[in-house]
Amino acid sequence: MADGSPPPGDPDPVGPAPAVRPFLVTAGRVAPTASGRPVPVETQVVATAEGLVVLDELDFEQHDIVAACRRPQSVAELAARLRLHLNVVRVLAEDLRAAGYLTVHVPDSGVTHDASVLRRVIEALRAIPDSRGVLRDSD
Amino acid sequence: MTRTEPAAPAVAAQVAAVAPPLPVKLVIAGGFGVGKTTAVGSISEIEPLTTEAAITEVAAGVDDLSHTPRKTTTTVAMDFGCITIDPTLKLYLFGTPGQERFGFMWDDIVEGAVGGLVIVDTRRLDDCYAAVDYFEHKQIPFAVAVNAFDGKVEHTLEEVRWALDVAERVPVVVFDARERGSVRDALLVVLEQALARSGG
Repeated sequence: MADGSPPPGDPDPVGPAPAVRPFLVTAGRVAPTASGRPVPVETQVVATAEGLVVLDELDFEQHDIVAACRRPQSVAELAARLRLHLNVVRVLAEDLRAAGYLTVHVPDSGVTHDASVLRRVIEALRAIPDSRGVLRDSD
Repeated sequence: MTRTEPAAPAVAAQVAAVAPPLPVKLVIAGGFGVGKTTAVGSISEIEPLTTEAAITEVAAGVDDLSHTPRKTTTTVAMDFGCITIDPTLKLYLFGTPGQERFGFMWDDIVEGAVGGLVIVDTRRLDDCYAAVDYFEHKQIPFAVAVNAFDGKVEHTLEEVRWALDVAERVPVVVFDARERGSVRDALLVVLEQALARSGG
Protein backbone atom coordinates (compact mmCIF):
# COMPACT_ATOMS: atom_id res chain seq x y z
CA MET A 1 0.00 0.00 0.00
CA ALA A 2 2.45 2.58 -1.23
CA ASP A 3 0.12 5.55 -1.06
CA GLY A 4 -1.36 4.79 2.33
CA SER A 5 -4.93 4.59 1.15
CA PRO A 6 -7.05 1.70 2.39
CA PRO A 7 -7.85 -1.02 -0.13
CA PRO A 8 -11.25 -0.52 -1.73
CA GLY A 9 -14.09 -2.34 -0.05
CA ASP A 10 -12.02 -3.23 2.98
CA PRO A 11 -13.59 -1.92 6.18
CA ASP A 12 -11.33 -0.07 8.57
CA PRO A 13 -10.36 -2.73 11.11
CA VAL A 14 -9.91 -0.40 14.07
CA GLY A 15 -12.82 2.01 13.90
CA PRO A 16 -13.36 5.47 12.51
CA ALA A 17 -10.84 6.63 9.93
CA PRO A 18 -8.64 9.54 10.92
CA ALA A 19 -9.48 12.83 9.24
CA VAL A 20 -6.05 13.03 7.60
CA ARG A 21 -4.81 10.36 5.24
CA PRO A 22 -2.12 8.47 7.12
CA PHE A 23 0.93 9.35 5.06
CA LEU A 24 0.14 13.00 4.48
CA VAL A 25 1.78 13.88 7.78
CA THR A 26 5.02 12.22 6.69
CA ALA A 27 5.11 13.88 3.26
CA GLY A 28 4.79 10.49 1.65
CA ARG A 29 7.83 8.86 3.20
CA VAL A 30 7.83 5.38 4.73
CA ALA A 31 10.39 2.92 6.10
CA PRO A 32 12.94 5.44 7.20
CA THR A 33 15.95 3.64 8.67
CA ALA A 34 19.46 4.00 7.33
CA SER A 35 19.49 0.27 6.58
CA GLY A 36 16.34 0.71 4.51
CA ARG A 37 14.35 -1.65 6.76
CA PRO A 38 11.58 -0.45 9.02
CA VAL A 39 12.47 -0.56 12.70
CA PRO A 40 10.86 -3.45 14.62
CA VAL A 41 7.48 -2.75 16.20
CA GLU A 42 8.94 -3.11 19.71
CA THR A 43 11.67 -0.48 19.09
CA GLN A 44 11.80 1.85 22.07
CA VAL A 45 11.43 5.59 21.65
CA VAL A 46 12.23 8.11 24.38
CA ALA A 47 12.08 11.90 24.53
CA THR A 48 15.32 13.79 25.02
CA ALA A 49 15.64 16.70 27.44
CA GLU A 50 15.86 18.95 24.40
CA GLY A 51 12.68 17.47 22.96
CA LEU A 52 10.80 18.21 26.18
CA VAL A 53 12.15 21.78 26.22
CA VAL A 54 10.81 22.51 22.73
CA LEU A 55 7.65 20.45 23.21
CA ASP A 56 5.25 23.40 23.08
CA GLU A 57 6.73 24.58 19.79
CA LEU A 58 6.11 21.26 18.05
CA ASP A 59 3.06 20.69 15.90
CA PHE A 60 0.35 18.06 16.18
CA GLU A 61 1.71 14.54 15.80
CA GLN A 62 5.27 15.58 16.58
CA HIS A 63 4.08 17.18 19.79
CA ASP A 64 1.99 14.16 20.75
CA ILE A 65 4.81 11.72 20.09
CA VAL A 66 7.44 13.60 22.10
CA ALA A 67 4.95 14.17 24.93
CA ALA A 68 4.04 10.45 25.03
CA CYS A 69 7.73 9.57 25.07
CA ARG A 70 8.39 11.13 28.45
CA ARG A 71 8.21 7.46 29.35
CA PRO A 72 9.83 4.94 27.00
CA GLN A 73 7.34 3.61 24.46
CA SER A 74 7.51 1.07 21.69
CA VAL A 75 6.60 2.36 18.24
CA ALA A 76 3.62 -0.02 18.36
CA GLU A 77 2.39 1.51 21.63
CA LEU A 78 2.80 5.00 20.21
CA ALA A 79 0.81 4.06 17.11
CA ALA A 80 -1.97 2.49 19.17
CA ARG A 81 -2.20 5.24 21.80
CA LEU A 82 -2.02 8.11 19.31
CA ARG A 83 -4.14 6.25 16.73
CA LEU A 84 -1.54 6.70 14.04
CA HIS A 85 -0.49 4.19 11.42
CA LEU A 86 2.59 2.23 12.47
CA ASN A 87 4.59 3.48 9.51
CA VAL A 88 3.62 7.07 10.22
CA VAL A 89 5.06 6.70 13.70
CA ARG A 90 8.20 5.15 12.24
CA VAL A 91 8.72 8.07 9.88
CA LEU A 92 7.94 10.79 12.40
CA ALA A 93 10.09 9.14 15.06
CA GLU A 94 13.01 9.16 12.65
CA ASP A 95 12.41 12.85 11.89
CA LEU A 96 12.27 13.66 15.59
CA ARG A 97 15.39 11.60 16.24
CA ALA A 98 17.25 13.47 13.51
CA ALA A 99 16.12 16.75 15.10
CA GLY A 100 17.49 15.59 18.46
CA TYR A 101 14.10 15.43 20.20
CA LEU A 102 13.87 11.65 20.56
CA THR A 103 16.19 8.72 20.94
CA VAL A 104 15.26 5.60 19.00
CA HIS A 105 16.54 2.34 20.45
CA VAL A 106 16.43 -0.46 17.92
CA PRO A 107 16.72 -3.75 19.83
CA ASP A 108 19.77 -5.82 19.03
CA SER A 109 18.42 -9.30 18.33
CA GLY A 110 21.75 -10.76 19.41
CA VAL A 111 21.07 -9.34 22.87
CA THR A 112 17.35 -10.15 23.07
CA HIS A 113 18.03 -13.77 22.03
CA ASP A 114 20.82 -14.15 24.57
CA ALA A 115 20.37 -17.01 27.02
CA SER A 116 20.83 -14.77 30.07
CA VAL A 117 18.08 -12.43 28.86
CA LEU A 118 15.74 -15.33 28.09
CA ARG A 119 16.39 -16.80 31.55
CA ARG A 120 15.41 -13.51 33.19
CA VAL A 121 12.16 -13.46 31.23
CA ILE A 122 11.46 -17.09 32.13
CA GLU A 123 12.09 -16.49 35.83
CA ALA A 124 9.84 -13.45 35.90
CA LEU A 125 7.05 -15.26 34.05
CA ARG A 126 7.24 -18.22 36.43
CA ALA A 127 6.61 -15.80 39.28
CA ILE A 128 3.28 -14.69 37.79
CA PRO A 129 0.41 -16.19 39.80
CA ASP A 130 -2.33 -18.24 38.17
CA SER A 131 -5.18 -15.80 38.31
CA ARG A 132 -6.04 -12.22 38.96
CA GLY A 133 -9.72 -13.00 39.06
CA VAL A 134 -10.66 -11.02 35.98
CA LEU A 135 -11.59 -12.74 32.74
CA ARG A 136 -12.09 -11.16 29.38
CA ASP A 137 -13.89 -12.92 26.62
CA SER A 138 -13.24 -10.62 23.69
CA ASP A 139 -11.15 -11.73 20.76
CA MET B 1 16.93 4.29 37.43
CA THR B 2 20.43 3.45 36.34
CA ARG B 3 21.37 4.46 32.86
CA THR B 4 21.81 1.46 30.66
CA GLU B 5 21.76 1.35 26.90
CA PRO B 6 20.90 -2.24 26.05
CA ALA B 7 19.34 -1.38 22.72
CA ALA B 8 21.81 -0.15 20.12
CA PRO B 9 23.25 2.97 21.71
CA ALA B 10 24.90 3.91 18.41
CA VAL B 11 21.48 4.90 17.08
CA ALA B 12 21.01 7.51 19.77
CA ALA B 13 22.89 10.70 19.06
CA GLN B 14 21.17 12.41 21.96
CA VAL B 15 20.75 11.24 25.51
CA ALA B 16 17.33 9.88 26.37
CA ALA B 17 15.68 11.51 29.35
CA VAL B 18 14.88 8.01 30.67
CA ALA B 19 16.63 4.76 29.79
CA PRO B 20 14.27 2.44 27.91
CA PRO B 21 13.92 -1.25 28.71
CA LEU B 22 15.23 -3.92 26.38
CA PRO B 23 12.16 -5.21 24.53
CA VAL B 24 11.86 -8.99 24.07
CA LYS B 25 9.16 -10.00 21.61
CA LEU B 26 6.98 -13.09 21.37
CA VAL B 27 4.47 -13.53 18.57
CA ILE B 28 1.04 -15.07 19.10
CA ALA B 29 -0.28 -16.54 15.85
CA GLY B 30 -3.23 -18.57 14.62
CA GLY B 31 -6.43 -18.24 12.67
CA PHE B 32 -9.11 -15.62 13.11
CA GLY B 33 -11.06 -15.89 16.36
CA VAL B 34 -8.85 -18.63 17.78
CA GLY B 35 -8.13 -16.75 21.00
CA LYS B 36 -5.02 -14.69 20.27
CA THR B 37 -6.32 -11.45 21.74
CA THR B 38 -7.87 -13.32 24.65
CA ALA B 39 -4.52 -14.93 25.41
CA VAL B 40 -2.68 -11.60 25.22
CA GLY B 41 -5.31 -9.96 27.43
CA SER B 42 -5.15 -12.74 30.01
CA ILE B 43 -1.52 -12.04 30.85
CA SER B 44 -0.72 -8.52 29.62
CA GLU B 45 -0.27 -5.86 32.29
CA ILE B 46 -2.09 -3.41 30.03
CA GLU B 47 -5.37 -3.81 28.19
CA PRO B 48 -4.41 -5.13 24.76
CA LEU B 49 -3.69 -2.29 22.37
CA THR B 50 -4.54 -2.34 18.69
CA THR B 51 -2.56 -0.84 15.89
CA GLU B 52 -2.45 -1.26 12.16
CA ALA B 53 0.22 -3.33 10.49
CA ALA B 54 1.00 -3.62 6.84
CA ILE B 55 0.65 -7.18 5.57
CA THR B 56 1.85 -8.29 2.18
CA GLU B 57 -0.51 -10.87 0.76
CA VAL B 58 0.33 -13.14 -2.10
CA ALA B 59 -2.97 -14.13 -3.63
CA ALA B 60 -3.45 -17.82 -4.23
CA GLY B 61 -4.24 -17.33 -7.90
CA VAL B 62 -2.02 -16.07 -10.68
CA ASP B 63 -2.62 -12.94 -12.65
CA ASP B 64 -3.68 -14.07 -16.13
CA LEU B 65 -1.94 -11.24 -17.93
CA SER B 66 1.46 -11.16 -16.29
CA HIS B 67 1.63 -14.76 -15.00
CA THR B 68 3.03 -13.48 -11.76
CA PRO B 69 1.43 -13.96 -8.36
CA ARG B 70 -0.66 -11.01 -7.33
CA LYS B 71 0.93 -9.32 -4.39
CA THR B 72 -0.95 -6.68 -2.48
CA THR B 73 -0.31 -4.93 0.78
CA THR B 74 -3.25 -4.43 3.07
CA THR B 75 -3.56 -2.87 6.45
CA VAL B 76 -4.86 -5.08 9.22
CA ALA B 77 -5.41 -4.71 12.93
CA MET B 78 -2.78 -6.14 15.24
CA ASP B 79 -3.31 -6.57 18.97
CA PHE B 80 -0.54 -6.58 21.50
CA GLY B 81 0.27 -6.38 25.17
CA CYS B 82 3.30 -6.38 27.44
CA ILE B 83 4.73 -7.59 30.72
CA THR B 84 7.39 -5.58 32.56
CA ILE B 85 10.09 -8.00 33.70
CA ASP B 86 12.08 -5.30 35.50
CA PRO B 87 12.97 -1.68 34.69
CA THR B 88 15.51 -2.81 32.11
CA LEU B 89 13.57 -5.62 30.44
CA LYS B 90 10.06 -5.83 28.98
CA LEU B 91 8.27 -8.70 27.25
CA TYR B 92 6.00 -7.78 24.35
CA LEU B 93 3.30 -10.10 23.05
CA PHE B 94 2.21 -9.39 19.50
CA GLY B 95 -0.81 -11.10 18.03
CA THR B 96 -0.61 -11.60 14.29
CA PRO B 97 -3.70 -10.71 12.31
CA GLY B 98 -5.71 -13.81 11.44
CA GLN B 99 -5.65 -14.51 7.72
CA GLU B 100 -6.68 -17.95 6.58
CA ARG B 101 -6.90 -18.13 2.81
CA PHE B 102 -3.74 -16.40 1.71
CA GLY B 103 -0.10 -17.00 1.93
CA PHE B 104 1.24 -13.91 3.64
CA MET B 105 4.20 -12.30 5.22
CA TRP B 106 4.32 -11.14 8.78
CA ASP B 107 7.89 -9.92 8.63
CA ASP B 108 6.91 -6.46 9.77
CA ILE B 109 5.64 -7.88 13.06
CA VAL B 110 7.85 -10.92 13.53
CA GLU B 111 11.28 -9.43 12.77
CA GLY B 112 13.48 -10.05 15.80
CA ALA B 113 10.96 -12.18 17.75
CA VAL B 114 12.52 -14.72 20.13
CA GLY B 115 9.68 -17.18 19.56
CA GLY B 116 6.12 -17.82 18.54
CA LEU B 117 3.02 -19.47 19.96
CA VAL B 118 0.61 -20.90 17.40
CA ILE B 119 -2.88 -21.14 18.86
CA VAL B 120 -5.04 -23.88 17.42
CA ASP B 121 -8.77 -24.50 17.47
CA THR B 122 -9.13 -28.24 16.86
CA ARG B 123 -12.43 -27.64 15.06
CA ARG B 124 -10.57 -25.55 12.48
CA LEU B 125 -7.11 -27.04 12.36
CA ASP B 126 -6.30 -25.82 8.86
CA ASP B 127 -6.53 -22.19 10.02
CA CYS B 128 -3.13 -22.50 11.65
CA TYR B 129 -1.17 -24.14 8.82
CA ALA B 130 0.08 -20.79 7.54
CA ALA B 131 1.46 -19.88 10.97
CA VAL B 132 3.19 -23.23 11.44
CA ASP B 133 4.71 -22.98 7.96
CA TYR B 134 5.86 -19.46 8.60
CA PHE B 135 7.69 -20.21 11.84
CA GLU B 136 9.26 -23.35 10.38
CA HIS B 137 10.40 -21.48 7.29
CA LYS B 138 11.83 -18.62 9.35
CA GLN B 139 13.37 -21.07 11.84
CA ILE B 140 11.79 -19.23 14.73
CA PRO B 141 11.36 -21.37 17.87
CA PHE B 142 7.68 -22.03 18.42
CA ALA B 143 5.13 -24.18 20.20
CA VAL B 144 1.59 -25.17 19.29
CA ALA B 145 -1.09 -24.48 21.90
CA VAL B 146 -4.49 -26.08 21.46
CA ASN B 147 -7.09 -23.74 22.91
CA ALA B 148 -9.53 -25.75 25.01
CA PHE B 149 -12.77 -23.96 24.23
CA ASP B 150 -15.22 -24.66 27.04
CA GLY B 151 -12.61 -26.95 28.55
CA LYS B 152 -12.95 -29.39 25.67
CA VAL B 153 -10.52 -30.47 22.98
CA GLU B 154 -11.97 -32.44 20.09
CA HIS B 155 -8.77 -34.22 19.14
CA THR B 156 -5.89 -35.72 21.08
CA LEU B 157 -2.55 -33.95 21.01
CA GLU B 158 -1.14 -36.81 18.96
CA GLU B 159 -3.88 -36.31 16.38
CA VAL B 160 -3.13 -32.58 16.28
CA ARG B 161 0.58 -33.22 15.92
CA TRP B 162 -0.08 -35.69 13.09
CA ALA B 163 -2.47 -33.31 11.33
CA LEU B 164 -0.09 -30.36 11.56
CA ASP B 165 2.93 -32.50 10.68
CA VAL B 166 5.19 -30.52 13.00
CA ALA B 167 8.67 -31.70 13.88
CA GLU B 168 9.08 -33.85 16.99
CA ARG B 169 10.97 -31.06 18.78
CA VAL B 170 7.99 -28.68 18.49
CA PRO B 171 5.95 -28.86 21.71
CA VAL B 172 2.18 -29.30 21.37
CA VAL B 173 0.23 -28.40 24.50
CA VAL B 174 -3.35 -27.77 25.58
CA PHE B 175 -4.16 -24.45 27.19
CA ASP B 176 -7.02 -22.13 28.01
CA ALA B 177 -6.56 -18.65 26.52
CA ARG B 178 -8.80 -17.18 29.25
CA GLU B 179 -6.63 -18.40 32.14
CA ARG B 180 -3.61 -16.36 33.03
CA GLY B 181 -1.70 -19.31 34.51
CA SER B 182 -2.43 -21.38 31.45
CA VAL B 183 -1.22 -18.66 29.06
CA ARG B 184 1.87 -18.14 31.24
CA ASP B 185 2.73 -21.84 31.01
CA ALA B 186 2.26 -21.87 27.23
CA LEU B 187 4.58 -18.86 26.88
CA LEU B 188 7.12 -20.57 29.11
CA VAL B 189 7.13 -23.55 26.74
CA VAL B 190 7.98 -21.18 23.88
CA LEU B 191 10.68 -19.42 25.91
CA GLU B 192 12.25 -22.76 26.86
CA GLN B 193 12.39 -23.57 23.15
CA ALA B 194 14.06 -20.22 22.49
CA LEU B 195 16.49 -20.80 25.35
CA ALA B 196 17.42 -24.23 24.00
CA ARG B 197 17.99 -22.66 20.58
CA SER B 198 20.22 -19.98 22.10
CA GLY B 199 22.43 -22.71 23.51
CA GLY B 200 21.56 -21.71 27.08
